[in-house]
Amino acid sequence: MNTNMKTPLPVTVLQYLALGGFLLFLGFPVLWIVSASFKSSAELNSLSANLIPNEWVFTNFTTALERQNLLSSAGNSFLVAVSTMVIAVIVTLPMSYALARLRGKLRAAGTVWILATQVFPQILIIIPLFLVLRTLMLNDTLLGLILVYVTFTLPFTLWMMQGYVAAVPRELEDAGSMDGASRFKVLVHIVFPLLRPGLMATAMFTFVSAWNEFFLALVLLQSPELFTLPITLRAFLGAEGQTQLGPLAAGAVLATIPSLIVFSFLQKKLTGGMLAGAVKG
Amino acid sequence: MNSKKSIGALALLTAGAFALTACQQGSASGGGGDSEDGAVTLQFQSLSDQPATQEAIQAAVDSWNSDNPDVQVEIIQAGWDGAYDKLITQFTGGTAPDIIHFEAASIVAFAQDGYLADLSEGLSEETIADIPEGIWDSVTVNDEIIAYPSTMQSYVAFANADLLEEAGVEVPTGDSMSWDQLAEIAEATTTDDVYGLGWGLGSPAATVMTLAPGFGGDFFSGSGDDVQIEVGDAELEVPERIHEMAYEDESLDPVSLTQSGSDVLASFYGGTVAMTVQGSFQAANMANDAPEGFNWVALPPLEGSEGALQAANPQTYSVNIDSEHVEEATAFLDFFASGQTLAAIAQADALIPASESAREVVATETGGEDGWEQILATADGMVGAPFLQANGYAEWKETVLNPALQQYLGDQISSEELATQLTDGWG
Amino acid sequence: MSAPAPALAPPSGGSPRRKAGLGPRQKAERREAIALVIPALLPIIVFSMIPLLAGVYLGFTNATLARNAEIEFIGFDNFVQLAQDKQFWDSFGIGLVWAGSVAALTGMSAIALALLLNSKLRFKSLTRIIVLIPWAMPPVVTGILWRMIYDVNSGPLNAALGWFGIDKVNWLGDFSTALPAVIVVGIWSGLPQTTVLLLAGMQSIPGELHEAAALDGANGARRFWHVTLPGLAPVLIAITSIDFIWNFNDFGIVYVLTEGGPGGRTMIPPLFTYLEAFRNREIGYASAMGDVLVLAILLILSIYLVNQFRQNKEGRS
Repeated sequence: MNTNMKTPLPVTVLQYLALGGFLLFLGFPVLWIVSASFKSSAELNSLSANLIPNEWVFTNFTTALERQNLLSSAGNSFLVAVSTMVIAVIVTLPMSYALARLRGKLRAAGTVWILATQVFPQILIIIPLFLVLRTLMLNDTLLGLILVYVTFTLPFTLWMMQGYVAAVPRELEDAGSMDGASRFKVLVHIVFPLLRPGLMATAMFTFVSAWNEFFLALVLLQSPELFTLPITLRAFLGAEGQTQLGPLAAGAVLATIPSLIVFSFLQKKLTGGMLAGAVKG
Repeated sequence: MNSKKSIGALALLTAGAFALTACQQGSASGGGGDSEDGAVTLQFQSLSDQPATQEAIQAAVDSWNSDNPDVQVEIIQAGWDGAYDKLITQFTGGTAPDIIHFEAASIVAFAQDGYLADLSEGLSEETIADIPEGIWDSVTVNDEIIAYPSTMQSYVAFANADLLEEAGVEVPTGDSMSWDQLAEIAEATTTDDVYGLGWGLGSPAATVMTLAPGFGGDFFSGSGDDVQIEVGDAELEVPERIHEMAYEDESLDPVSLTQSGSDVLASFYGGTVAMTVQGSFQAANMANDAPEGFNWVALPPLEGSEGALQAANPQTYSVNIDSEHVEEATAFLDFFASGQTLAAIAQADALIPASESAREVVATETGGEDGWEQILATADGMVGAPFLQANGYAEWKETVLNPALQQYLGDQISSEELATQLTDGWG
Repeated sequence: MSAPAPALAPPSGGSPRRKAGLGPRQKAERREAIALVIPALLPIIVFSMIPLLAGVYLGFTNATLARNAEIEFIGFDNFVQLAQDKQFWDSFGIGLVWAGSVAALTGMSAIALALLLNSKLRFKSLTRIIVLIPWAMPPVVTGILWRMIYDVNSGPLNAALGWFGIDKVNWLGDFSTALPAVIVVGIWSGLPQTTVLLLAGMQSIPGELHEAAALDGANGARRFWHVTLPGLAPVLIAITSIDFIWNFNDFGIVYVLTEGGPGGRTMIPPLFTYLEAFRNREIGYASAMGDVLVLAILLILSIYLVNQFRQNKEGRS
């Protein structure tokens, strides 16, 4: 946003240094796991601490792909994650507006519910939830899992989105209303476009959450053909802490790629919001 | 408005509670069922993750299925990680499979809660006679056999033969090796760059409890909810000896006491520790991962004052009591318990078969190589341990035993304080 | 809340009709509210409210997970017992330190990082993706990955320190470094998400406000203080409070890294809830723990959040 000012050189240098520090902190461990995915089992179990593998091996990837039906579970995960993302975004948008803008008890009740769901340990909800799903014959189905994921991401998406709504100055809406536009039109044409960056961020959140979620999938799904990617990945953690580090690292690297593709796609939209704002101003 | 809301809340509450209770009572619908042609289908949830193990299990199931067209077994592949959480949800939710693969220390809880069928009538005499009593003890709850014990691990000391030779120590042979001997070799092999012993005790509880019977350390008496703890000299012997090696002899690498077993293997391969105590299954990893020319040997079973005893915690196969076909499921287990099948599973997982016939097959097929001779020898000292039967052990282990042992092995508290913490933390 | 510094913005909120009493407009508003809320409410009631209320209720019973267990209402017995559970309360302090430091440090780092990503630096699209990778990483490997990084003998961290002649540190095994080391991992895994949400919040601040400020001659720091930060406040409050709760509740990452060790230094309350509910199968007592956690955390957060509500009200009326 610093469009109107020249930043002094020392500040720029500092900025790059800080950015470099963040990139090192966030990026180095990622490099390390990528490197681990190309190391042989012998090297992973040795005392060497080299970023570049002594000997590049690709067997971790072939093991990961062959042995644990990684691809079919990735397919399940993708279906689940995309459905969760779409449904969650659709139901979040109107309700978050209601939470942020409308007065009274709804807002208070909503806030308490949101926080309570987040604080109450999930472990205690699992069994009642399982029984509800069984009653609805939704246990051991991907549909049931999707509905549960939507519900479990809603508190957070609502919580964040109502924050973004609150950040939209009321004056903009009021101006729209004075021009005689209906509330609905004000929402669609004035408020929602301003919420786009926030919506993209929450969409990223729902996708990644559903893509990576392990525990609910573990207890709600029984049939191996429905397993999602995190369950399949965890199969590399055997009994007695016998972790197959190499294939696990390879699987994790592969499992990260779809999320990154979705990220870069949504990221553009996220930045697009900024442009729209700038054009309007 | 307010009253309306509270009524609504109450209704929901009742609905939730009702759903919970209603389904808890009707938990009989789990497992497989009957297909249209009258054949029974049994769901068999297996956790085995090694391809060779999966093949051995599949082969046994295929052979059963072709012999028994009326009772078909279907394998449901699951994983070890999170297996307990999955099972408890399945049991409580009434969707547990008919045949359940797990391990003794964790499955006993389900037996105490009434979810597992008694196998003692359904297993043949040969099957029962094939397994030593000590191991049956580990899967016996209220005089009922609640699981078939298949394979297990023991703790075994491994040594870098070259480092022992450099130090002028002869590699011990024979039926057993005393703790004193272990300490002596550790001292003899310790140099400026090398610790005599590396022991991955980051979570020390399992190792300490497993080795305690060697000195007559029982910890618990009684079973179920009425369990007394006693932490005396016998119970403290194992941690005290480890502590002594680490802080008095300075022959045990104290850093290794905060690591996992696999972490210490790296030091073992790297030649910075001369010996390491590991789960016996690590022998298979050593055969794969050790650097070329690395000369490792398995040492004889560790012997305490009471003998080379270790607490047995075998992998298990159980039958869901709410299965509609308990009898058929037990019959399948009896078939599954053949020496050939278990020997194949044991070799693929690098574990010790519980049954004597399978152990013989493994001994013949491996020729005792790659440490198998010493590893199989530890099976003779396998006993049932009281902690398996103590309700509340799992929580005590995580919240009291592990932290207290970590503090003691980190030289933060004395052995008296350790004993007090363990005793006060129970119940 | 939308009350930017008075000198910079048109007078905020405050249209008198919002104070006006009941009328057709309010009824319409209520109808609108219902229409806006229904799509989200249905799954919430079925999959969240019912299990949650059942869970809360179980805290007042002696429920276990045994087969055909009979559930009796026992009033506050569980809570009386819990009040004397020393281990549980001891772990509470560790939980607060853990969750509080992760949330606060993540929040601060995220503001800095979001500002950097929002400014005119080069390679922006590349850095924005790199920064997001930890978020995309499956959580199962986060713990294993950092155990490798922190490894005493073969970890890159100690190797790097070795170049500067610094002795090996047993990060996760040493009593003094275990909790800080775990907190760093908490920040690592939470930073990307918090940054993106703050970045989105910055994008949502209308450009007019910045330009008005710039015209008034405000420099970068002043504009951050008077435009960006107030505009970001609702999002920042929302994300830090939720970060706090999540970290307080998530024993997964801590457990994988340290298994509660060394010596209980990293044992946090939800671990007790898990052990009590699933391992001891005393779901009634465990639910009482859950109830207490909800109350305690809401109490702590209310201090933080009441502020937000108050500001909100001021912004409106």
